[in-house]
Amino acid sequence: MYRITAKEELDVRDFFMEVEAPHVTKAWKPGQFVVLMIHERGERIPMSIYYADRETGRLGMFIRRHGKTTFDLWDNFNVGDSLYAVAGPLGKPIKIKHYGNVVFVSDAVCGQAENYATLKAMKEAGNYTISIQTFEDKAHSYPEKFLAKPVADEHYLTTEDGSRGIKGHYLDVLKGLIEKDKVDIVFGGGKLGSLKKLAELTKEYGIPAIVTVRQIMVDGTGMCGSCRILYDGEIRFACRDGPMFDAHKVDWDDVIKRDSRFVREQNIAKERYLKSKGVV
Amino acid sequence: MPKLIKERIPTPELPVEERLKGFVEVNLGYTLELAKKEAERCLQCPPEYAPCIKGCPVHINIPAFIAKIKEEDIKGALRIIWNDNTLPAITGRVCPQEDQCEGVCVVGKVGDAIDIGKLERFVADYARENGIDEELCREMVGSVKPKKEKVAVVGAGPAGLTCAGELAKMGYKVTIFEALHQPGGVLAYGIPEFRLPKDIVKCELDRLKEFGVEIKTDHIVGRTVTIDQLLQEYDAVFIGTGAGTPKLLNIPGILLYRVYSANEFLTRVNLMKAYKFPEYDTPIAVGKKVIVIGAGNTAMDAARTARRLGADVTIAYRRGREDMTARIEEIKHAEEEGVKFEFFLTPVEFIGDENDRVKAVKFMKMRPLEERDSRGKRKIEPTGETVTLEADTVVIAIGLEPNRIIWESTKGLKVGKHGTIVVDENLMTSIPGVFAGGDAIRGEATVILAMGDGKKAAKAIDEYIRKKNAA
Ligand SMILES: Cc1cc2nc3c(=O)[nH]c(=O)nc-3n(C[C@H](O)[C@H](O)[C@H](O)COP(=O)(O)OP(=O)(O)OC[C@H]3O[C@@H](n4cnc5c(N)ncnc54)[C@H](O)[C@@H]3O)c2cc1C
Ligand SMILES: Cc1cc2nc3c(=O)[nH]c(=O)nc-3n(C[C@H](O)[C@H](O)[C@H](O)COP(=O)(O)OP(=O)(O)OC[C@H]3O[C@@H](n4cnc5c(N)ncnc54)[C@H](O)[C@@H]3O)c2cc1C
Ligand code: SF4
Ligand code: SF4
Ligand code: FES
Repeated sequence: MYRITAKEELDVRDFFMEVEAPHVTKAWKPGQFVVLMIHERGERIPMSIYYADRETGRLGMFIRRHGKTTFDLWDNFNVGDSLYAVAGPLGKPIKIKHYGNVVFVSDAVCGQAENYATLKAMKEAGNYTISIQTFEDKAHSYPEKFLAKPVADEHYLTTEDGSRGIKGHYLDVLKGLIEKDKVDIVFGGGKLGSLKKLAELTKEYGIPAIVTVRQIMVDGTGMCGSCRILYDGEIRFACRDGPMFDAHKVDWDDVIKRDSRFVREQNIAKERYLKSKGVV
Repeated sequence: MPKLIKERIPTPELPVEERLKGFVEVNLGYTLELAKKEAERCLQCPPEYAPCIKGCPVHINIPAFIAKIKEEDIKGALRIIWNDNTLPAITGRVCPQEDQCEGVCVVGKVGDAIDIGKLERFVADYARENGIDEELCREMVGSVKPKKEKVAVVGAGPAGLTCAGELAKMGYKVTIFEALHQPGGVLAYGIPEFRLPKDIVKCELDRLKEFGVEIKTDHIVGRTVTIDQLLQEYDAVFIGTGAGTPKLLNIPGILLYRVYSANEFLTRVNLMKAYKFPEYDTPIAVGKKVIVIGAGNTAMDAARTARRLGADVTIAYRRGREDMTARIEEIKHAEEEGVKFEFFLTPVEFIGDENDRVKAVKFMKMRPLEERDSRGKRKIEPTGETVTLEADTVVIAIGLEPNRIIWESTKGLKVGKHGTIVVDENLMTSIPGVFAGGDAIRGEATVILAMGDGKKAAKAIDEYIRKKNAA
């Protein structure tokens, strides 16, 4: 059992949670994720890491209230309660080394967590770090203290409607930076549709891009093939061989399609859960 | 000499209509009365001759335990079985007996072989239901002399569990590291409830804990902790990580929805209990017409699971009926439950609809040749003719290979060309002090072979540690 040590709202949809999982913090490196089960009957759900503190043995995560499991987690699990399973770290770490100017772009919850985690390590490795964090609007943006600012030499916050920070998407800001010749490598996470566009943009300019390929997972250890993708024409497992891949080699259309495999079942579970809470 | 009774005493089974309503175990096993009757049929071949003992990979003294059943001494029978096999409730249910102990039974030459598997299962079940196993367990725990040396076991499948149990009995302090949230390996995530009830697996696991074995779940060795790190803390390491990675077909349509690997399908249903969705959170999407590709135990399990989820199910196999690799009982049960079979078909494409959901499978028709391969199976070749079968769900059960996390993360660990770990005759790997067994060294094999390896490795580890201490 893994004790929850902090929980805080990030915006109207996402929240921050910290749990004790020293076996994970001991080994975690940027690029890797964990799999959670909130209770014995729960689903195994993958989560990115915002920080892994070796001293306290605690993991920070950003979690979106998405469907049944994440609603349940927000509604019914508080500081002092425990999660049934935290497995990890899973996946392969990314290479932390001196690249020069490193940009991390993100426009959804998992990416925002990775943005901070990756740039922190990149800065320690002597890189010039640039963070671009995109949110839909002000209501769906995070408080200052949860942004990647402290670990970024340059930080941009954008909202798609301009209600906070720069108006626009990370793709717009990134394009400007590339044109000013300020980008040696891009890392990214968040919405799959944007990552596809990021792949196209960076390819055009011949800049390497390493991004999180989010796929529906079961075990997260390479045992089921649920997370398979086509990468350079070969079958790869996102959990075992990724989740961060060279964006230019990913077959994005298939990745995006496979993400909605269980939409019908997910809605059944969510509605049933909300009904049980008297919400609908 | 007792009169030879040629016919087996049958074990009662759940009627087909009842089976398809849920995931209740199909074979109900012997009662004490029936077990005694079946035991009477055994000719009690002398142990130095008894072919059944040689046929069993762990050489259980079969005539001796059968004799104890006749005397109604179930504790005595269990003690004999436990000498060589600590998970009889499981092996009695899942061993391919027809190729092992029962396949060579002398009675089988003139009639039905003694139902050794069902008798073994009876002993284990009866003992469990009547607290006999606990009693015996306590006696054994009491006689264990604790040692100070520690052994790490990687993977909580039959190989790892057996190795851990044997070492614990010798007094070693054993910690098992398991990647998933539940121990058991294939017993937990692969083999379905209707064939191996999970309560039984749990009971066998609880017994291990009585011997002081600690199980750390959620630990992926190679990621959470490496073999190198384990070697610094433990006196020896055993790797029993199995062969859990599904082989997939790199053919058009492999990414369509509702094209599952058997592992994903079975893990969702068994380990995560998707058959109880939405009471349990993990979903499974199964349509009305399911095609299962393959003909081993995994394929039968997937097919029978899909029947229970209400689908019409066809198994498509590239070879002929006589080459199917599943246990005979599973094939029989699958047929009884209405699973259809198509032979000499190899998939070449999964065809999707406008929503990228699979709607059909295109197969190449195969033809058998006279020539046989190294396993004695007739070779096959494509005819050039194709056939398309409708399906809204496909399960691929064409085999498994070892998970590469272990060897990708362990420098100096020698692996063979199919990703199996290379070991010497004592099951030691290329790294001194690191042993391995089960599917991790064999590729897809059986529960009892994995257990046999676990036991053999435990002995070798004991010798290794003694030698190291003496030096
Ligand atoms: C490598 C990786 C890292 C992730 N990091 C984060 C993170 O940092 N924060 C966060 O909020 N979410 C993250 N996710 C997604 C997270 O796993 C899903 O939000 C979660 O599973 C939703 O479950 P649910 O029951 O609440 O919602 P559901 O209604 O079950 O699903 C909502 C959506 O979540 C995704 N999803 C559902 N089940 C799974 C699954 N088993 N595996 C992967 N995705 C699934 C699908 O896109 C689905 O449409 C990550 C996923 C992956 C693969
Ligand atoms: C669906 C199915 C049906 C089968 N039916 C039968 C049958 O009827 N009869 C029969 O005899 N055999 C059957 N088999 C085969 C049999 O189950 C296996 O041969 C046997 O389980 C192998 O045991 P093992 O201990 O080597 O590995 P496994 O049972 O595979 O266990 C390995 C364990 O190691 C864990 N693991 C893997 N990697 C790591 C890691 N890096 N760190 C930590 N833990 C890790 C896994 O999660 C797993 O729990 C079947 C197999 C399948 C898939
Ligand atoms: S362990 Fe398997 S092979 Fe050995 S006697 Fe039991 S059922 Fe037969
Ligand atoms: S070979 Fe058959 S008859 Fe002989 S001892 Fe074994 S089970 Fe009994
Ligand atoms: S989630 Fe099962 S193989 Fe990746």
